[in-house]
Amino acid sequence: MQTDAHGLIRRVNHLFCKWVGQDATELIGKRKIQELFTMGGRIFHQTHWVPLMQMQHSVSEVKFDLVKKDGNTVPIVLNGICHEQDGAIVHDLAAFVARDRDLYEREILATGKRLAEVAATTARLEEAAKDRALFAEQMLGIVSHDLRNPLAVVEMSALGLLGAGVTPEQTVALERIGRATERASRLIRELLDFTQARIGSGLAVQLKPVNLTVVINECVDELRQAFPETVLRYSCEDDGQCEADADRLIQLVGNLVTNAIAYGAPDRAITIASSITADTCTISVHNEGQPIPPLLLAELFQPMTRGHQGPDGKRSVGLGLYIVREIAKAHHGQVSVISTVDEGTMFTVHLPRFLATQEI
Amino acid sequence: MTVAQRSNVHVSGQGSATMFFAHGFGCDQNMFRFLAPQFADRYKVVLFDLVGSGASDLRAYDPDKYNSLQGYADDVLEIVKEFSEGPAIFVGHSVSAMIGMLATLKEPRLFAAQIMIGPSPCYINDSETNYVGGFTQEDIDSLLDTLEGNYLGWSSNMAPAIMGAPDQPELAEELTNSFCRTDPTIAKQFAHVTFLSDTRAELLQLAAPTLILQNSDDLIAPVTVGEYMQATLPNSTLVIIDNVGHCPHLSAPSQSADAMNAFLRKEGL
Repeated sequence: MQTDAHGLIRRVNHLFCKWVGQDATELIGKRKIQELFTMGGRIFHQTHWVPLMQMQHSVSEVKFDLVKKDGNTVPIVLNGICHEQDGAIVHDLAAFVARDRDLYEREILATGKRLAEVAATTARLEEAAKDRALFAEQMLGIVSHDLRNPLAVVEMSALGLLGAGVTPEQTVALERIGRATERASRLIRELLDFTQARIGSGLAVQLKPVNLTVVINECVDELRQAFPETVLRYSCEDDGQCEADADRLIQLVGNLVTNAIAYGAPDRAITIASSITADTCTISVHNEGQPIPPLLLAELFQPMTRGHQGPDGKRSVGLGLYIVREIAKAHHGQVSVISTVDEGTMFTVHLPRFLATQEI
Repeated sequence: MTVAQRSNVHVSGQGSATMFFAHGFGCDQNMFRFLAPQFADRYKVVLFDLVGSGASDLRAYDPDKYNSLQGYADDVLEIVKEFSEGPAIFVGHSVSAMIGMLATLKEPRLFAAQIMIGPSPCYINDSETNYVGGFTQEDIDSLLDTLEGNYLGWSSNMAPAIMGAPDQPELAEELTNSFCRTDPTIAKQFAHVTFLSDTRAELLQLAAPTLILQNSDDLIAPVTVGEYMQATLPNSTLVIIDNVGHCPHLSAPSQSADAMNAFLRKEGL
């Protein structure tokens, strides 16, 4: 079709007349093209189409809705070009009905909106979950910290009662209290380490020159007293100084050995080994027995992970191996595990021998 | 990001006063391509794009800031402060006329005169005060619908095939409607802010001399709105150009320039 510079229709074909449900005689010289649009289309025509036509003399692919005589609308895509004809500016317009395209585009828009909503909901839920987790971990830290003092009072009082004037039955009971408070204290220490590692800046270690063999020997001696029924073998290949946090090393070996006792074959020995090369300390703990299921292996060092056949209450939360990994990490080292039917289970920890000097 | 980068500021011309041209809803500073050059021999001419339109830096688009005309007015103040030499004359088309008014009300000393092209202080009819802005809420919803329909349409380009090869070589490039291209989300918010704004109460406070320039047949800003503005603004002149459409600066640039020159002479600018 053709219009004058203001949109007044000069020429129009049958098809367009059919779309709008009006005769050519009702349109030519009487109606402006924009008068056939919805009000939104008319505003858009004024704010976009007309300025574009004046600036670049052509406009491409703008979508309008034509309002038919019966009030229904027909979506069209309109293209226009402006030129001079017999001394006057005219606009040649080409339109095609875009009903399919309209549906398709509206579908895309609707899908886009739905996607955005889903994404927003997911983000909100994730944020809430993160908040809750952090809160829970902070609570854990506070509670375990505050449990230490009353527990120490119980422990000291039980110790104080032991000795003069107690019956043998009372002695047994007091010793039971002692062992129970010892277990509870260990659990609290682990929980505190856990919260420190999770929401703090990792476990704190104080690296000092230590003799690896001496430290592990002491540790194994203590463990032998704690677990008299289990045979603990210790073999050291090389002797030497390294830089480490002795208390943390004892904790690390303790956790690995307790773990081996809990999950290893009951009447088999547990072997602890250490070696030192020029730049690395290696500590390993080996036990025989059922291998760790492969699925469990993948998340073994995650907190709250426990073996299938839960042993008789020796471990309760599943923080031991997580703390082993965190201690290794704090020493810039790492821990790994191999577990098979034939070879049993072996945890190996590699730590840099002289961390401080290596960094310089 | 400097003010010049953010608002895509272009400076030309020289003179004892500075004219700032602000485009309205729809296109960008290219709208003044026929009008602004007519002043560059006597004035310093500053063109810019509203943030979110044209070649402004979209990273500066803050949906909270630009949720009202005041956000745009604050940008205008920054631009005027940085680029003004001598008295500042603010030329605002459509919604930018109201943006210029808000900027002037905030810092009146910065502005010597206002030229409003096709302004409207309120597009929606208000039956309570018998005010006729020309539109209803449904009309604006219908506009938002049309806007949505055109985000996707503009991405493809079948026009050259349909229209045949035109004889203007620059056309191929311009067929992309680049002057009026906007980010879809921004266009929608800008349409909301523009067409649902109501600055009728502020008109009474504008002391600066104001020229209202208006086409005789304008769908967006009908003559009755121009008359309402002239009656309400304390210090204004209404000039009606016998012309169709919302953009006299494009469709009747010489007549527009004549009316503006007469006004500026009268104000001694």
